[in-house]
Amino acid sequence: MELNTGYIAFALYTLIIIAGGILAIFSRSIIRSLIGLIVILFGVAGMYFLMAAPFMALMQVMIYVGAVVVLIFFAIMLTGVEGNEGFSSSRLIRSIIPAGLAALVLILTISGSRINFTSPEELPLKELGKSLLSTYMLPFELISIVLFIAMAGAVVLGFERRREKE
Amino acid sequence: MILSPLTMFQMVGALLLFMGTICIIYRRTFIGMLIGVEIMLNGAGMSLVAASQLTTADSATGQIGALLIMGLAAAETTLILAIVLIVYKRFKTIESDKVATLRG
Repeated sequence: MELNTGYIAFALYTLIIIAGGILAIFSRSIIRSLIGLIVILFGVAGMYFLMAAPFMALMQVMIYVGAVVVLIFFAIMLTGVEGNEGFSSSRLIRSIIPAGLAALVLILTISGSRINFTSPEELPLKELGKSLLSTYMLPFELISIVLFIAMAGAVVLGFERRREKE
Repeated sequence: MILSPLTMFQMVGALLLFMGTICIIYRRTFIGMLIGVEIMLNGAGMSLVAASQLTTADSATGQIGALLIMGLAAAETTLILAIVLIVYKRFKTIESDKVATLRG
């Protein structure tokens, strides 16, 4: 019985993700497309809860909805583009063919693999922090350098106009 | 036939890849394409965590991998938004079909 509840929740989150995807792809205004992205992010956060990784769900909401979506919103505000896009079926067909091909290969690979699964159990946050500071020390430090360089690059690109005047 | 939970989570990851690719090719503006990239990266992170949580593999590896993907997504978004602002300053539009001028 408990398993059935899990399946119902899974179907619900999948529906949320599909609805968000439709909103993100087909809405005329770009702000509504961004709302679709937020819906997808919350659906994936629910998936993280379902696979017993609540910390990942929290990080998903904090980093993606809190930082990335706000950044994209600022870009929409600064460019002031409404992006009125009409529906075009030829463009849709041209995009479905490569996407369907990639997804088909992936699904054939997944359904062909035979891996025994175990029921998920929550990883204590202490373990995660320990391995972040011992085994995965180097990637952890590198990601801070990458973030710093990206921010510095964004600032340099933002001041490009001033250099052109010289 | 009922699928194993691991397969179902991976199928949702493939669905996210499908929707992200459609979004990249279908949307006309650069910001719309960026939204598609974010959808794809989300699917990658989700299938990574599913693969580590639902098998005997080390759970910490998958979770830290997904955290690094989130960090890289944030860095990538920052840079792309700076590029979008530059393109908007020069061309007064961010539609990918109209930004087609090359000048040395």
